This record gives sequence, structure tokens and C-alpha cells, in this order.
Amino acid sequence: MADEIKAITNLDRLVHEPARLAIMAVLSACESADFAYLTHATGLSKGNLSAQLSKLEDAGYVAIAKGFKGKYPNTVCSLTPAGRRAFESYQKQVQALAQYLKK
Amino acid sequence: MMSEPDVHQLIQKTRRYEFADGLRDLQLAVLLGLGGASAWLGFEPGWMAIVGNLAKTYGRWAAWVGLLPMVLVLLAVWGMLPLMNILRKRWLWRESGMVKPSRWAVPRRVNVLTAVIMVGGMGVSLGLRALGWADDAFVLRMIWAATGWGFGYTLFAMGRQLALPRYRWLGAIGGFISTVLLFLPLRFGQSSLAFGLLWCVLLVVSGVLALRHASSAAKKAQ
Repeated sequence: MADEIKAITNLDRLVHEPARLAIMAVLSACESADFAYLTHATGLSKGNLSAQLSKLEDAGYVAIAKGFKGKYPNTVCSLTPAGRRAFESYQKQVQALAQYLKK
Repeated sequence: MMSEPDVHQLIQKTRRYEFADGLRDLQLAVLLGLGGASAWLGFEPGWMAIVGNLAKTYGRWAAWVGLLPMVLVLLAVWGMLPLMNILRKRWLWRESGMVKPSRWAVPRRVNVLTAVIMVGGMGVSLGLRALGWADDAFVLRMIWAATGWGFGYTLFAMGRQLALPRYRWLGAIGGFISTVLLFLPLRFGQSSLAFGLLWCVLLVVSGVLALRHASSAAKKAQ
């Protein structure tokens, strides 16, 4: 029991927040995605998405490449190896918790 | 504040994105259709005679012309990539955004099982030949039948994994047709052509239907 409670408290808070979890889930399923796809897939507003991406970038979980597509700015995001590891370990922890709660 | 996201659905949706517009189906149709035709051509006596005459007239290097159809197939498939990119950037994904897909569309166990199916099929045909129940032509036709089973299984697994029912149908129908080919009295070249064209037709139908759907979705989004 104590181990499971420990697992809950050990969850990576940065990944656990719903908006950031959605972003990381999308990025874990591809090599990279642009800003337009992330807003389309997650349903987040541009401002919120931008703020959450900055937090993930600061933590070293997401790499952001800014460029231009014609005259328009184009932002492409991808998970860093550390971000991929963090997302995988978060998923494992959540699955273990779900299994424990089923018992 | 955002409610708890459905992680599984988000992952599935993003993986499906690459295949939902049907362009990958059309690319595979070109690969299999032209690949089958070039394999057939390679075993045609007329083409072999042309390549032989070229080698006699211009020297041994001219025999490389025999590989030209294969090179053209690869160029056509490779050339489709920038074309697909342009179509997506300017039309299909213009509003919904661009994604660079993962290298592997299915889990490793699906790839392993596909290889087992293909090698297993070949093993069975060689075993039947050793027992005297099958001839050499059957073993050669098995190359295509086993390839069809393996490819069909991969598509079926992808259909389940990505919640794309058309791939489940495609895998099942293609796998069945590949089995029928095994029992038709065809030479190797002919079975290559039949295999390539059948898969090509199936993939074109699937690709065009998906593309129509994606096109109307893109129109609505604009």
C-alpha cells in the first residue's frame, strides 16, 4: 500500500498536468508535429499551448524549432529523449496504479 | 482548465493521421503495381532477348539495362514523397497541421510475426516439395502468396491498432486473394504480375476512397 501511495506522490507533476500530458501524448506518437497540429489535436488555445510548450521546453522534455513556412512563422515541436523517457515512465506508473486500484 | 485527456486516443489519432488521407495507400499501390510488372518483365523471354542483344552489341555493361525497370519503380515511389508532402501542405493538412510520422507504424511484434508468416509459408512449400506433393512452380508462387499473407497481416494489425477499418478489410481480402494465386497454374513472372496488380487495385480503391473523405474534411475545415 505504502509503495502505491509513494508512486502517486512520485508522479512527474510536469507531465501529469492535463494540457501538458495531452501535448506529450501527441508528440510521443510521432517524430515531430507543428503548432497547428498540436492545437488541432489537443483542442488547446494558442496561448495555453504556447505557455505549456515553454514549460516543457524549459524542463528539457520538448525541443522547439522556429522557422518560416512562406511568409508565416512555423513552429515544429518534438519530444527530446529525456521527454520520451519521462512520458514512458509516467505511463508505466499510471498503469501500475490502475492495476493496483483494480485489485 | 482542461479535463483529463484520453492519452490512448491522442496517440492513436496522431499515428492514424499519416494513413487517414489514403496517400500512403496510393504510394504502396505504385510500389506493388509497378514492382509486380517489373518482376514479370524481368522473366519475360522477349525482354531477356532484348537485354541479351544489347549486351552483345554494346558490351557486358549494357546488361544493366535489365535492372532499369526496378530502378524506375524505386524512383517513382521515392518521387511520390515530395508530391505527397506538397499535397498535404497545400491542401489536405493545410488547416489541421503537419506531422512527421514515427518510423514504425506497428509494434515490433507485428513485424516479427510478419517475417515468421513469410518464412513459414516458404518453409511449408519447401517441405511439400520435399515430400513430392508440390512442384517448383508452387514453391515460386509461394514467394508471392507468403508475401501477400505477411503484408495482409501487417495491414490487418495496423487497422486494429489505428482504428482504421479499411486496413482490416484490405488485409483480409488481400491475404485471401494471395492464397488463390497460389493455386492458379501461373509461371513465376505471371504470378508476380498478378500479385502486383491485384494488390495495386485493392490499394488504389482504398486510397481513393480515403482521399475523397480527407478532401471533403479539408474543404470543411477551410
